[in-house]
Amino acid sequence: MKIRLVAALTKAWRVPFRRHALVSAATLVLLACGCHSARRGEPIQGAMKISDANVARGQKVYMEHCYQCHPNGEGGLGPALNNKPLPRFMVKMQTRKGLGTMPSFTDGEISAEELEDLTDYVIALRRHDLRSAQR
Amino acid sequence: MTEFRNCFLVLILSAGIGTGCYHLKPSSGAGQTKFSPPREINPEDVAVPSGYRVEVVAQNLTFPTGITFDDEGRIYVVESGYSYGEMWTTPRLLRIGNNGKTETIASGGKNGPWNGVTFSKGAFFVAEGGVLEGGKILRITPDGKTTALISNLPSFGDHHTDGPVAGPDGKIYFGQGTASNSGVVGEDNAKFGWLKRRPQFHDIPGQDITLTGQNFETENVLTGKGRVMTGAFLPFGTPSHPGQIIKGQVPCSGGVMRISPNGGKPELVAWGFRNPYGLTFSPDGKLFVSDNSYDDRGSRPVWGTSDLLWQVKQGTWHGWPDFTGDDPLTEKDYQPPGKPALKFLIANHPNRPPKPTAYLGAHAAAGGLDFSRSAKFGHRGDVFIALFGDQAPTVGKVMHPVGVRVVRVNVATGVIDNFAVNKGKENGPASKIGGGGLERPLAVRFSPDGTSLYIVDFGVLNEDKKGAKPHPRTGAIWRVTREGGAK
Repeated sequence: MKIRLVAALTKAWRVPFRRHALVSAATLVLLACGCHSARRGEPIQGAMKISDANVARGQKVYMEHCYQCHPNGEGGLGPALNNKPLPRFMVKMQTRKGLGTMPSFTDGEISAEELEDLTDYVIALRRHDLRSAQR
Repeated sequence: MTEFRNCFLVLILSAGIGTGCYHLKPSSGAGQTKFSPPREINPEDVAVPSGYRVEVVAQNLTFPTGITFDDEGRIYVVESGYSYGEMWTTPRLLRIGNNGKTETIASGGKNGPWNGVTFSKGAFFVAEGGVLEGGKILRITPDGKTTALISNLPSFGDHHTDGPVAGPDGKIYFGQGTASNSGVVGEDNAKFGWLKRRPQFHDIPGQDITLTGQNFETENVLTGKGRVMTGAFLPFGTPSHPGQIIKGQVPCSGGVMRISPNGGKPELVAWGFRNPYGLTFSPDGKLFVSDNSYDDRGSRPVWGTSDLLWQVKQGTWHGWPDFTGDDPLTEKDYQPPGKPALKFLIANHPNRPPKPTAYLGAHAAAGGLDFSRSAKFGHRGDVFIALFGDQAPTVGKVMHPVGVRVVRVNVATGVIDNFAVNKGKENGPASKIGGGGLERPLAVRFSPDGTSLYIVDFGVLNEDKKGAKPHPRTGAIWRVTREGGAK
């Protein structure tokens, strides 16, 4: 009976521990990524050469709907994007749903296809740095 | 499954912290900092693309706003003579020598700001902002003789007479900014300083319009007693009614107009701009204008609208005060947080506004612009635009400094990239982020041979809740050149 109780307690401790470890690790990764500079643009990071047609189309969508608050993915009226490691589905969700003062964009404003392209561009811009520019 | 859920929550939380904290963070605008002169200037602190070089041409200028070149390629600069913050100095046209020394060609009276200059057929043309006496287009000969081609332009308000440029037809094109932020004179205009000087001044449409009858209640800042109602295109304290017709006039507010270099009546090119500050012609003769968009201030605040680059459509209304680009302000995107949704002021919009060429940063304060025409400089066919930078908190709140750079725009695609920015982890004027880089880029112009880009840097302009705090003798002229061949 005593052994069963200890085993149950150990199991109960281990599950939350694993859970919290995962959450903590994710948080640390996010914070570490968030510490990177958001600055982009040819003078700072070198020219961003876009060869992917989807990314090029996404760049145009970004220029019309996003640049005004996040110029080059940097902060402005709104926060910086380049230092927020949002996964693909969250970029799309936030574009559709909005968050806080960020407006939402309907299918009529940004079509499903454009949203995919836009997400490609946002991620490519985030990953663009001096090393990738020199390659 | 539980771990996944928790990780998902962390991601949501992270996204929320990162993007949804507009309300929690204080404004951090370009001018929201302390400054003690002298200004430090160091070209090493300005980042430009690889292969380009930055140098300082002149410094210790007071509020420079424009640059041009005579037929011999000599450099001329205008100093404004007025800055937001109600500071008057002497407006001047200066020649800049090779050693950076200045020689005064002409001086003006207390009617600045002199906003921009161009040289055409042996004479200089200057836009006199006209805060006290009304706007003018001045013709100044090289010996300093000054005559006004036109006077009494509606320049007593928030925005002034701007950016003269000579067109392919030989006429002088200029911009005229609006009196108010979004069509309604209010308490914010008293804060700017002009409402008590000119209590009857208001916006003037470029053609007859019919009002919806929207009125806005404010304190009576003229008497300090009671409250008043004010309608669009009417003096402070004058309400409008539905169906009221406001007669159009030329000159108008928010218009681009042209005039013969010998004077005469102005012609309306287009209207419905807010502050068409910078004007230039593309190599194939098309007129492009930079337009400063709405602020989150006053009786009818507007949120989150881009400064715009327009290819001007002759005879067309471009949307102010009911649209931003071709988007109606009635969309919820433009409702400031915690403030009322916007309704139209004009019942009979003259046309659906055209689509802009490019959407610049909200509050970037897009200034003077010029096209690259030289393969040696590179980016031929792109337009370069000086972005003065935000004036938060006066114009509304921003999370990070906006503008404070020179960008280039591909006018075929609308894609914008930085060209000259300050080095550092954050963007902003040197007085905010440290170092000796750019402060307030207000205009750009290529040298006559197209191989050098000159940047007019207005100097330090701080902002706080009371308004603008300009700093004289902090202006500068920068030059960017490219070493090597064509790009």
